[in-house]
Amino acid sequence: MIGLIIGALVIASKGTNPFTAYKALIMGAFGSSYALSETLVTATPLIIISAGLIMVFNMKFWNIGAYGQYIMGAIFSSFFALNSAPTTSPFLLLTMMSIAGIIGGALWALIPALLKLVWEVNEVVTTLLLNYVALFVLKYFMYGPWRDPASHGFPLSKMFSPNAQLPIILNHTRIHFGIVFGIIIVLVIYVIIKKTRFGYENRVIGENNIAANYAGINIFKNTLIAMAVSGGIAGLAGMTQISGVIHMLQLEINPNYGYTAIIVAWLAALNPIAVLVIAILIGGIEAGGYHIQMIMHVPFGIVGVIESSILFALLGGEIFKTYRIDFRRRR
Amino acid sequence: MTEQSSILVTLSASAVRSGTILLFPTLGEIITERSGVINLGIEGMMIIGALFGFITGNLTHSPYIGFLVGMLAGGLTSLIHAFISITLRGNQIVSGLALTIFGLGLTNFFGQDWINKKFTIPVSSIAIPGLSKIPVIGPVLFNQDIFVYFSYILVVFMWFVLFKTRTGIHLRALGENAQAAGAMGVEVNKSRYWWTFFGGLMAGAGGAYLTLVYAPFWLDGITAGRGWIAVALVIFAMWNPLYAVIGAYLFGGIDSVQFQLQASGTTIPSSLLNMQPYLMTFIVVIAATIVLRKRHIGTPRELGIPYSREEK
Repeated sequence: MIGLIIGALVIASKGTNPFTAYKALIMGAFGSSYALSETLVTATPLIIISAGLIMVFNMKFWNIGAYGQYIMGAIFSSFFALNSAPTTSPFLLLTMMSIAGIIGGALWALIPALLKLVWEVNEVVTTLLLNYVALFVLKYFMYGPWRDPASHGFPLSKMFSPNAQLPIILNHTRIHFGIVFGIIIVLVIYVIIKKTRFGYENRVIGENNIAANYAGINIFKNTLIAMAVSGGIAGLAGMTQISGVIHMLQLEINPNYGYTAIIVAWLAALNPIAVLVIAILIGGIEAGGYHIQMIMHVPFGIVGVIESSILFALLGGEIFKTYRIDFRRRR
Repeated sequence: MTEQSSILVTLSASAVRSGTILLFPTLGEIITERSGVINLGIEGMMIIGALFGFITGNLTHSPYIGFLVGMLAGGLTSLIHAFISITLRGNQIVSGLALTIFGLGLTNFFGQDWINKKFTIPVSSIAIPGLSKIPVIGPVLFNQDIFVYFSYILVVFMWFVLFKTRTGIHLRALGENAQAAGAMGVEVNKSRYWWTFFGGLMAGAGGAYLTLVYAPFWLDGITAGRGWIAVALVIFAMWNPLYAVIGAYLFGGIDSVQFQLQASGTTIPSSLLNMQPYLMTFIVVIAATIVLRKRHIGTPRELGIPYSREEK
């Protein structure tokens, strides 16, 4: 609510009527079946990445590197997409691409995890810096070995052949099979963190890692596994985006979803099931943001302002939640 | 002077200017973190300072007013973080990230009409009489613009305040043990507000220096992760303003060397050259952390922990 008000003030300050803008934004997000389908397309990577982030945020391991893990997943899976015969069976190829994407993201996530575990190197800083490194690795491939000679100098790879594209699951939309991945991942992560010993141990690590150590929990092993899962999932999101939506590797593969997913995970209060709803809402704001940028020339940055303001409101509001619990306890 | 050494001097002088962009926010964050608040929103505050400093500079035709407004814009932005993390005791890590997303979004929104516009008023270098005549060091350090000199003064001043004054003792106490600081009569939250605001001013200064002097033009996302490099440099500097200088100029140096290499038409792909500042920061942070551990110099002990008087 506060987020929307701040967004309105920002829009109004530039002389655009915020109500018209919001109406258009909502129309662009949920106003037609096409708009709704675009919202779901945007929500897909957010669902996938956020579910993975929850895994590590639960243990207070600050993986800010989904951006880079996503890019690495996209690069690894492109290797198979660009280097296999067009006659390979789609099932085989897509499976290989998925696995490659997971490995790419997981490896990229294990670097900061190991650095943190061995030398206590601050993971916020390392995961973030690796985001930029990943971006330049992508640039290297796009301006170098993987640039399509027929792209007239644009940093684009060859178009993926149809067997390297995730199938569209709803005709006349861009909704692809990635959303199925998303739902499965959400359910699996939910079960892991709420119903398994591993998930419980990770929560203990997040609450108090000294106590966790005394309780005989293997922090080293758990953190490595959780980060590999979190990064692997981000990598898979990168794979689904290039295979399901973009159909090639290029510079604009929307790695910013890696940051947006952090917002989604927090707004969902680190609950994987809630991610499904929040991701669709945020996906709606993003899709609506593109819409108002196109029809009203409202810069897309407004989406960042709205999303961050919502997050500010949530962070600021947590104190009231804490106080209510205190109050109950005292009675 | 031979040709090689004059190239080296030019390169070093440009390294100092590039480093100054990082030096301001690093200094600011050192002070903020010393007071027990971690603000990861430097990138966001920097880019807000960069845009609003740039716009003001263009409207007033004064780089100085632009710089001040840029600083102030960064400072005001930091108050959002201060309010959430100090008053409302929200999660500081996430709040800082949100601040960065906020800054990038806001500047994309307001910067649309300014993209690729230039700031055409040059800020001239002032040679300091005497000092600028020292071979090598003179032209590198003492033939710079007024903002660079301002950063020198700040470094010494902040070092002095931090380690040689009562204010400094209180400031450090805030980050090490807020309860004790409170008992000493320091108004914990009020002081933390001021130091967080100071960090914001400095981040804004770094951003404004980038768009008014160093670049000087506006591009969407022009800070390009420099705010995060500054966060890393705080660790490298072991929370000491004097070491911040070394870190900032080192990275200024890497930046200007890779820039010169590109300009000279090397065959190394530009993507790999552009990667260097981030890769080097990554490596240096690891090295610095290992050294810190060996020497048992740590993060301010209560960094990121909010303070409330009733919790005893």
